This record gives sequence, structure tokens and C-alpha cells, in this order.
Amino acid sequence: MNIKRVLIYSILGFAALIYLLPLVVMVITSLKDLDEIRSGTLLSMPQALNFDSWDKAWGSACTGVSCEGLKGYFWNSVLIVVPAVIISTVIGALNGYVLTKWKFRGSTLFFGMLLIGTMIPFQVVLLPMARMLGFLGLAGTTSGLIMVHIIYGLAFTTLFFRNYYISIPSELVNAARIDGAGFWMIFHRIILPLSIPIIVVSVIWQFTQIWNDFLFGVVYSSGDSQPITVALNNLVNTSTGVKEYNVDMAAAIIAALPTLFVYIVAGKYFVKGLTAGAVKG
Amino acid sequence: MNKSSAPRQSLGELLPKLVVAPTFVVAVIFIYGFMLMNAWLSFSSSRMLPKYDWAGFIQYEKLFANDRWWVAAENLFIFGVLFIVICLLLGLFMAIFLDQKIRAEGAIRTIYLYPMALSFIVTGTAWKWILNPELGIQRLIREMGFESFTFDWLVNTDMAIYTVVIAGVWQSSGFVMALCLAGLRGVDDNIIKAAKVDGASMPLIYRKIIIPGLRPVFFSAFIILTHIAIKSFDLIIALTGGGPGFATDVPATFMYTFSFTRGQIGLGSAASMMMLMAVIAIIVPYLYSELREKNNEH
Amino acid sequence: MHALKIQNIEKIYGKVKVLKGIDLEIQPGQFLILVGPSGCGKSTLLNMIAGLEPVSNGNIFIGDRDVTHLDPKDRDIAMVFQSYALYPNMTVRQNIEFGLTIRKTEKSEQKKIVEKVSKLLQIEPLLDRKPKQLSGGQRQRVAMGRALARDPSIFLFDEPLSNLDAKLRVEMRGEIKELHQREGTTIVYVTHDQIEAMTLGDVIAVMKDGEIQQFGPPQDIYDNPRNQFIASFMGSPSMNFIPCQAEKVNGVIQISLESGNEKVKVPIKQNIKGLEAYADKSIILGIRPEQITQQGEEKPDSAKLNCDVELIEPTGPDTLVTVRINGVKTVCRIHPTAESKVDKLMPLLLDMSKVVFFDPDTQERVY
Repeated sequence: MNIKRVLIYSILGFAALIYLLPLVVMVITSLKDLDEIRSGTLLSMPQALNFDSWDKAWGSACTGVSCEGLKGYFWNSVLIVVPAVIISTVIGALNGYVLTKWKFRGSTLFFGMLLIGTMIPFQVVLLPMARMLGFLGLAGTTSGLIMVHIIYGLAFTTLFFRNYYISIPSELVNAARIDGAGFWMIFHRIILPLSIPIIVVSVIWQFTQIWNDFLFGVVYSSGDSQPITVALNNLVNTSTGVKEYNVDMAAAIIAALPTLFVYIVAGKYFVKGLTAGAVKG
Repeated sequence: MNKSSAPRQSLGELLPKLVVAPTFVVAVIFIYGFMLMNAWLSFSSSRMLPKYDWAGFIQYEKLFANDRWWVAAENLFIFGVLFIVICLLLGLFMAIFLDQKIRAEGAIRTIYLYPMALSFIVTGTAWKWILNPELGIQRLIREMGFESFTFDWLVNTDMAIYTVVIAGVWQSSGFVMALCLAGLRGVDDNIIKAAKVDGASMPLIYRKIIIPGLRPVFFSAFIILTHIAIKSFDLIIALTGGGPGFATDVPATFMYTFSFTRGQIGLGSAASMMMLMAVIAIIVPYLYSELREKNNEH
Repeated sequence: MHALKIQNIEKIYGKVKVLKGIDLEIQPGQFLILVGPSGCGKSTLLNMIAGLEPVSNGNIFIGDRDVTHLDPKDRDIAMVFQSYALYPNMTVRQNIEFGLTIRKTEKSEQKKIVEKVSKLLQIEPLLDRKPKQLSGGQRQRVAMGRALARDPSIFLFDEPLSNLDAKLRVEMRGEIKELHQREGTTIVYVTHDQIEAMTLGDVIAVMKDGEIQQFGPPQDIYDNPRNQFIASFMGSPSMNFIPCQAEKVNGVIQISLESGNEKVKVPIKQNIKGLEAYADKSIILGIRPEQITQQGEEKPDSAKLNCDVELIEPTGPDTLVTVRINGVKTVCRIHPTAESKVDKLMPLLLDMSKVVFFDPDTQERVY
């Protein structure tokens, strides 16, 4: 190995350490007790692997008014994410299918207007949506949040599927039409079997976005219907008495685990989703 | 009979339109309708509750007379510029290094990218602890021998915004790297071979051929990073809560505070309209110049 | 009763008329070729016959049915696409059965049809493979099998051989022709390759800019092109177009040909009445390379000219020699054994019995 390679590997390795550091620090801190934290530094190893803060974060830490840990809110997030991901993916797939294989006058315009929906800062719809949810009786409910996430996820899922389906040759659809297949049969027997890669991308992307969301969560949920990100923030910022940094860290890791797990298992598709979203038309 | 009459729309032709109709309705109401409603709110006199009257520009006047708003705007500018520039540079350089046929490239890439899988709340929480003025990095460096090292940026009114930059860059630079790496790999091998035959050295090839070839990638990265920067809300809430005081306020947190905690809906909606303007003002000209370049190239 | 009748078909995209009023008619069992350069509208016309694209104006009849507004599946047609369009997630067998299943054909009947078709096209060993495991030629056959299984009134082919390599293309061309001879099916075939057009078709429609320029049997189009475009499009190497001056001498029209070394005046013995109008004017002489050969056998109605050889291209069966006549590059087809050397004079024989003439301004044929 020559000097240049050594240099490159060192730089890359150093950078990798910096990226890993916060995660490492979080884990270490969560395994210490408060004395160790106060007397040691960020990087000093815990004496023993103390999972007490994890228990507390999960089951008894205070997140505002109630002190029942993140448990309930974890399941809230699951309850929100699952239907929102499924519904927005299904609709996005159908939209992408129509926009590429059954184009009509104005379909390009429709796509353009959806695309704009991916670019707006959500602050401009925050207030009107609050009003709408109140009007529909969904304010502060999980269902309301699910609705919001579906609505604002549609633009992205449609984008993913549209960009993917565009590369399926239309001759395939024409052949099926001549064979006698109609709109639904073509989708079901020909397009869908070819869609596995993009379905994975869409599901991973939506899962990550919705699980990690805070803005919609903090505005549109309250109390028991809050997702885990809101609960985490409450937990960390609740200043009753002593700051329990280890519990904070454990809580953060718990909140991060699902998306981290998905990333490690299916990271390749995650990257595809990121870069696909960046390749605009 | 030579002219065939235009057939009535068969169900077959109507069906695709029906399928996308719900999304269309949703987009019209929840994106465009809401934007209009929001615009109206910004021209109303709403406070605790929305009032759909016409109050002219008074909310905007209030906004521009508000010191905190200007702090927020300035913070966004500082944060935005640093965040975007550093992410782009860091992402590009790491991508170039990674492009050198590194063993374990996949593993290293995974490490650079995993922060993007995290919620900004998690990132903010983690960095809030790392940058803790007593127990965080300051103590670590001091214990390593640098007795007088101070790192209290988190609670320092002037420096706090830079902590947001650090956390933000940590989270998003991996993404730029992934984009740049894909872009680097997409450069036509034959062009590079031709340059080598012409006698160009690798650094020169990078400078004159490959990096210019990354324009579309920079374009996408720039748009997405701008988007992230302007929308930044979660990160700041978790990292600094907008503080100390309102030293790390940004338009997004300003809007939230005034709309939902301070009962000033009109002011909040005016702030959000300004955010929309910022997005349009930056992305539209950039889009325009990039697309015009594309047309000129043909 | 016609198998296919197209009446004044027009196709308009926005402001552009892509098809400007197409009329044609073919009988059952005929092999119709739609040929022309890119953008001439041939694929659009085919798609409209198939029902894949709506008609702007006009009518299409398949047999005695007006199918102008019918869905593709109701037109009793089958189509073979340029990229074969085989369903990637299905086996060859499932690909062939797909249309039959939709039509609710009995399972036992389906089995019989698949057997018959796969035997005919020699794809039996491939029945359980997926398209991505097949070669280009094999995919081609499966695509044809899928079409044959439907037993339609009309087969449509959209440049099916374009994606094959040269050798395979010639092979498959022969197979398609054989299939047509044996089964007697009505076929409409789109291609941009004029060799395919000549060898496969019973009738050819040469198209340009959304119009049919000429319609007729291959040999007729080859020998009697209606205008310069058709003359240059059909035949390879292309027909030579030599501008020359015409004069009337002793009641006969003569044209002058000059090769840089000598000049001859050639009387035109063909009975072309329109030539009279070009006395003392310039006219375009159209002469095919095979009509200019080495001197040897004298033919009646031929001219002799000595020319400087500019380029020699041996093809194997003959040799193409490029010379200059009236200042214009002219390609001649000579016997491979005839002597020729670059920059040396070559004595050439021009067979004037089948040459054609075109107006230099309108490029229309002079009759």
C-alpha cells in the first residue's frame, strides 16, 4: 500500500469514527448510572452494563403529564405508520400506473402539480389542516394523524412509482390490451409482479418519514395519541428534578431502533429511494 | 361517410381518470386550497382563532417589526448557507475518496448514511448531550489534557446556531455523499479514458471533467438540502428548543410558537407565507437557470 | 370481400396532421407491407388498425365490420412488437395462454393450441422458460406463437426483425415468409427496411410524411416508381439520379451524358410521351446500378460510355464501381471478374430500356 492509499483510508476511517461517535456515545451513556455520568466523560466506559435506564425509558419515564415511559407511544407510532404506509403506497402505485400507462390530456399537468406538493414547506398547510381536522372531529386523534400522513405522502409515493413505471415499456401494456386484458388485469398480472423493487423503496421511505416525523405529530396529536417522537421530546425536555441523561439516551435509542433496523436490513433500497427522489423527471 | 363522430367516452377511457381523481381532489384541497387559505389567514386579523376578515398587510407589518423574526431569518440564512455548503463539499470529497476502489466500501457507506435514517429529534437529543456544556465534549477534551478548552456553544447566544449546523451536517452529509457517488459512477468511462490518453492526470480529470459532470447531482442535492434547511424544525426543537432565549429560532419554530403557543395565528401564517416565498425565491430561479442550460446544451 | 379496408384515415396531434388521409384495401391472405422512413406515420397507422391509438377521422373495416371505435380485444387481431413485449414474469407457455385464458377458452383447448403453435415454431423445449432466459430469435418466435395462438383475422407486425442481428434477420425473414405461404394468413407488416419490403410483401404501401406515395406489388414499385423519393427509397444501392440536357433531334428526344472524357448523345427509344415537353430543358435520368455494367453483351437500346473509376467496392457476388456522369457520382454494378482499377478508364454499358425520368423541380415521374 502506498502513501496515497494510506492517506485515503485514514481519512475515510477518521470520518467513519466521527459518524459513529454519537451512536456510540448514546449507547454508552444509556448503560451508565448517573454517578458514572457525572464523574466520567462522554467516552468513559460503563462499569457494568446497567439496563435500568432502558427500563425506565420504556415503562416509567415522565413524558409531560403521564409517567409511563415510551411504551404506549411506541405503539402509537406503529398504529400510525402501518396504515399510512400501506394506503399511501397503494394509491401512489395506482397513480404512477395511470400517469405512465394510461396517460390522458392533463395527466402531465396533474403530475407537475403533485410534484410541487413535494416541495412546499408544510408550515403553509399547518394551520388550515388544524382547522380541517377540528371540523372533521379528528383533532388530537391517531386517525387524524394517519390521514395527514397519507395526504402528504401521496406526492412522494406517486413520484417513486411514476419514475419506476416509466421504464416499463408500453409495448407490454399494448400486447396485453390486444390479448384482451383491461385496466385492472394489466395492473394485477403484469405491472404489479414487476413492482417489487419500487414497493420496497416506497415502503421504506414512507416508513422512515412517518416514523421520524415530529412536526405533524406535535401539532395534530395530544396526550395519548402522540407518536414516539413527540413523546421523546417531552421526555428529554421535562425538567422535573434531576436530568437523567442515561434515560434520555435510552429513550432516543428506543425511538431510533425501528428505522435503524430497517436501514441496516434494507439500506440498499433506502438509498435507492433517496436517489430516486432526487432524480426529478 | 368520411368523418367519424367522436365517440362518447367509454368507461375504459374514464376509468384511469377516476382512479387518480381522489388524489387530484386531495391535492387541490389539501395543498393548493390550504395554501390559499393560509394566505388569507396571513391577511386577516386572526389571533387565537382564525378570523376570515381582510386586514391588509398588518400581520406582515407586525412580522417585520418583530425583532425575534429577524433573528429567526438571520439564523436561517446562517444555518442554511453553512449547512448546504458544508454538506455539498463534505459529501463531494467523501464520495471522491470512496470512489477510489476502497475495500469495505459498502460498510463505510452504510456508516456515513445511517444518520439519515434517524429522526431529527433523535439527532437533536444525541447532540444536545454531546455538546452539553459541562458533561459533554468540553469535559472530554479537558480530561484529555486541554485544561482550558471551552465548548459551551450550546448555551452561548452567539454560537448556538452553529451547533445546529454541526448536528445538521452530521445527519445529512451522508446523503449528499450517496448522491455524488452515484453521480461519479455515472460519468462515462470512455471520456475518462480519452482524457488519460490525452495525458491528463487524475486530479486534473477530476477537476475538469468529472466534477463539472456532476452538475445535475449538485442541482438535486442543492434543492433537497435547501428544502431541509428551510423546513428545519425538529432538529432545533430537540437540540436547543430555540434557545438560549430565542437565539436559535428559525422561521419554522417562530411560526409554531406564535401560531400554537402564543395565539397569534395571523402572524404565524404570515411567517409561513414568508417561508414559502423563500422556497420559491431560491428554487425557482435555480431550476430556471439549470433547465435553460440544459436547453442550450442541445 | 376485403380483409382490411382503410377509408380516409387521418391522425392529428395538436396542430400536426401525422396521417393525411390514408386509403387502402387488401384481400384475405395478402401480405401488406407499410414501408417508409422514420416519421412517415407507418407505425401510427398500424397502431390505429390495432386499436391502440384512436382515429381522428376516417374508418377502418376488418372484414365487413366497422372496427373504428372498437377496443383492440374486439377486433380479432394479433400483434407482434419490435421488442416482442413478452410478459417477463410468465413462462413461455403462460405467455401464449394469456390471451386464451382471458377469452375463457377451455383448458383442454388451450393445451391443444399451445402444442400446435409451439410445434409449428419449434419452441417446444422452451415452454417452461421465462423470457429472460431466451435468445433474441427465440423471443421472436414466442412472440409469433402468442399471436398465432389467437388465430385472428389479421396479423400485425411492427418492425419485428429490427432488434435481431443481420444473419438472424435474414433467417427469420425466410421463416415469416414460409409461415405466410403455409398458413395463408392476412398480414400487415411495418418496416423501414426496403429489402424486407421487397422480399416479404404481396403489396407494398410506400409512405412519406403521413401519406401513401405509392401502393402496389413490389416489382411494380421497383420498376415504376411514381416519384424520385420512391425510386431512391426502394433498392439498394440506391438508384442513380443523373441530371441531363434533353434535345429533340429528328423527332426523337436525346439526352447527353458526359463522363469527363467523352460526351455521348443517347436517343431514348422508350415510348415516354411526357419527354417531349422537356426538349431543350434539363431532366433527371433515373438509372439503377444493375443497369450500368461492363461492356460485353450488347443489349438493344443501350449506350456506351468510358468513365474514370473513383471507387471500387467488391461485395462478393458483384462489384460496385463509382464513376462520375454529368458531374454526379454514379454507382454501377459490374461482374466481379471484369477488370477495373481506380483512376483508370472503364468502358461501361448503360441499358436504357428500363430507365425512368423525373422532373427536376417537382421530382415527379415523367410518363
